[in-house]
Order: sequence, then C-alpha cells, then structure tokens
Amino acid sequence: MPPLAKIRIDLTSQVPAYRQIVDALRVLLVDGTLPPGTGLPSVRRLAMELGIHFNTVGEAYRTLAEEGWLDLRHGRSAKVIARDAQSAASPERLQEFRTQLRNLVAQMRAAGVARSRIAAELRSLLEGLNL
Amino acid sequence: MNNDLPISLLIACFVGAVMLLLPHISPRRYFFAITVPSAFRSSNGGRASLRRYYAAVVCSVVIAVVLLVRIDQWSGALLPVVAMLAPAMLGMLAFLVERNQVAKASPPVGDVRVVELSSDDDHLPRWIALVLPPFVCPVAAAAWLRERWNEIPARFPIHWNGHNVADRWTDKTPRAVYGPLLFGGGMILVLILLTLAMFYGSRRGRQRNAIVKMMVAAIYFVALLFSAISILPVAPFSPSLLLVPGLLFPALLIVWVIRVLRDPSMPVDQTPDNCWYLGSIYVNANDPAIFVQKRIGFGYTINMGNRLAWLLMGGFVAAIVALVLTLPR
Repeated sequence: MPPLAKIRIDLTSQVPAYRQIVDALRVLLVDGTLPPGTGLPSVRRLAMELGIHFNTVGEAYRTLAEEGWLDLRHGRSAKVIARDAQSAASPERLQEFRTQLRNLVAQMRAAGVARSRIAAELRSLLEGLNL
Repeated sequence: MNNDLPISLLIACFVGAVMLLLPHISPRRYFFAITVPSAFRSSNGGRASLRRYYAAVVCSVVIAVVLLVRIDQWSGALLPVVAMLAPAMLGMLAFLVERNQVAKASPPVGDVRVVELSSDDDHLPRWIALVLPPFVCPVAAAAWLRERWNEIPARFPIHWNGHNVADRWTDKTPRAVYGPLLFGGGMILVLILLTLAMFYGSRRGRQRNAIVKMMVAAIYFVALLFSAISILPVAPFSPSLLLVPGLLFPALLIVWVIRVLRDPSMPVDQTPDNCWYLGSIYVNANDPAIFVQKRIGFGYTINMGNRLAWLLMGGFVAAIVALVLTLPR
C-alpha cells in the first residue's frame, strides 16, 4: 500500500490555519498526489487530528470546493473530483499573483538568498508540481 | 510507639519517591509539563530546575517524618493523614513553581502538526474483544456463591482494619452477598464504555492503542478483585492477601508506563501550552478532541473546554455513585 499523503500546519505561524490547510491540500491536488476519486478525511476527523476547530477545516474544504477541486455532498466525506480545464487567468488575477510573487522574492532576497537560487527554486517547484 | 507509625513513615517515603520520579514519568517532549526543545532537560536551566525540585521534595519528606514522629502520641486521625500526604502536596507546589520557571527559561517551540490524509473510518483493534472474558469472573463467582448459599454465615465481615481484624459486619442478604459482584460487573461496564469513549474521542496514534491496552488490563484486574472479594464469606483465605494484587497491579502499571514513556518512537499528542492549567487541566474549546494525552504521567485526561466531555464526566460520576449504592452497608 502506498504511503498516505500528509499535510503539515504550523499553529504558531502568522498564516491562518485554514489558509495553511488550503495551500497544503492544493499542492497535493496540483501535483497529482491526490488524484480524482480520492476520499479525504471528514471535517470532524481532520479537525480532531489537527486539534483545531471544525469550522477551520470546513472553511478550507469549502474554499477548495469553490475552486472546483472537491465534491462536498452532504452526508458524504469530501472527494477529489476531476477539475474542468481552466481558462487563462484574467489580467487582474495575474496582477495579484505577480504581486504575491514579487513580495515573496523580495523576502527571499532580504533573507540573503541569491538570485540564481531563487530562479532555481521556482523552476524546481514548477517541475515538481507536474504542470 | 504507635503501631501505625512504621506504615505511616513508609507511606510518606513512598509518596516522596513517587514525587521525585514525577518529572521523569512524562512524555519526553514535556519538562515540568511545558513543551521544551529536546536539549533543554540537560541544559543549565533544566538541571537547576530539577535540583531545586528534588531539594523541595526531600524537604517535604523530612517535614512529614518529623511531623509523624512528633504527633505520634496525638489524638485524631486527620493530622497523621495530612502529614503522610505532605510530600505530595508540597511536592506538587514545588512542581508548579518549577513549571513557571521552565516556561520562562525555555525557548519557544513551534507547534507543527503533521496529519495523514486517511479517509478510513476509525476501527477498534480486534483484540478489543478481550474486554468480554472478564465478565465470566463475576458470573462464575455468583454461580459459586448460589451453590454454597447455605455455607454463608448469617453475619459476615465486610471491612477489615489495618491489623486485618474485621471491624464491620453485615447480615446475609442477596444484596450483601452479590453486591460486590454487581459493583464489579458495573465497573467493568463503565470501564468498557470509558475505553470506547476514549478511543473515538481522541486522536489516532500508537499512544491511543497503548492506553486502550492499559484499560483492558484494568478491566481484568477489577473483574478478578471483585470476584475474590465476593467469595470471602465462604472462601478460606485471609482478606489481607488481596493487598498483594492491589499493590502488584499499580506497581506493574508504573513499570509499564515508564517503559512506554522511554520509547522514543512513541508519538505524543500535541496540545498548546497555554491551554493547560496547573499542568494537568486542559481547557481548549477549539480542540474537538474529548480526551487528550496527559503531560504528567501517561494516560488521557478530558478536555474541559468540550461540552461533550462534561456530559461524559457527569455520566461517569453518576454511574459510580449508582454502583456505590449497590454495595452492602
């Protein structure tokens, strides 16, 4: 049996727990670790295991369902679904991503990471996500 | 010299020894019930905390011994009991003082949670069926007593003092004869329900299975102990013999707990430091777990921030009160 996918959240981080769950799950969804048809733990179970409120996990699942990744039918556990092909991001959305990336790159440079290293990290992430 | 003095001194020293062990019978992630980096225990700050704590416990044992010897001739039962428990009370106070010191001195530790994304439902381990055979003991004891009903004296003892002399008696009635068995059977049932609640109300992991095993062992102990107590009116053995399993079981339990806690691969249930009060009361309304792993010793405690936990505790207390009422008086 292949090892189960794991998510990791840091409760002392400035990033809200719900955002960390969304980000961690999205990475697993994008890179194919969680293919369509995969069942996710129930909101109750995941909240229990992480030691956080049900609403936090519920909000994370709803966000991913709105993005088209999950099927959240009442009374059933969350399931990964095949996502429709996405149209190219709008110029406004693209600008939003650019701002986020610029902030992140600035943070890395401020922390002393070399330009070439940043470029290599971004390339390796893109390849790793199997896009 | 009072006959009870040696045993009082022994109890005070035993309590002191347990208090000395307290910082070591906790999961390694915690030191004085505070989350610390793994190197903190052996740091100067950690060693100083331990030294101060040991000194306080030794002083409390000396105070207890002096009090017990001095109050040897005094009348009244309360003062010797207070003196015997002085190492526990003063030791706990010292533990809480050191807990505050460690919280100040220890560098902050991140609270990272890693969880497997399993959609499988929670299944009890197969060996949980082992909770059923203990019911045979009270049933067999009841059948045995029924067969020997005529051999049971019209009045028989139900309590013995420290010198193994009967000091309370009861008349031969069905309640008096079968009461301990009903109590034992009820306790087994309550322990089984508690085990199930603990299993489904806590986080997954090896630590949970370890606790369930401990509960199963406790169920066997209760079944055997109450079955043995119930046959005392007709069985030819001294009631003081019951002290042997009564002391042996907790001793074996302590040895097992220390072994489990020393196992570096044993996972630890993570909980935030700021939700623990006095090192042993957990209150976190955001945590859906009803039972969480204790920080002192090995076992589970309830999450007082969870309303279901209060309901369970109420039910547990009501069940115990109802069971006590079944005992002969």
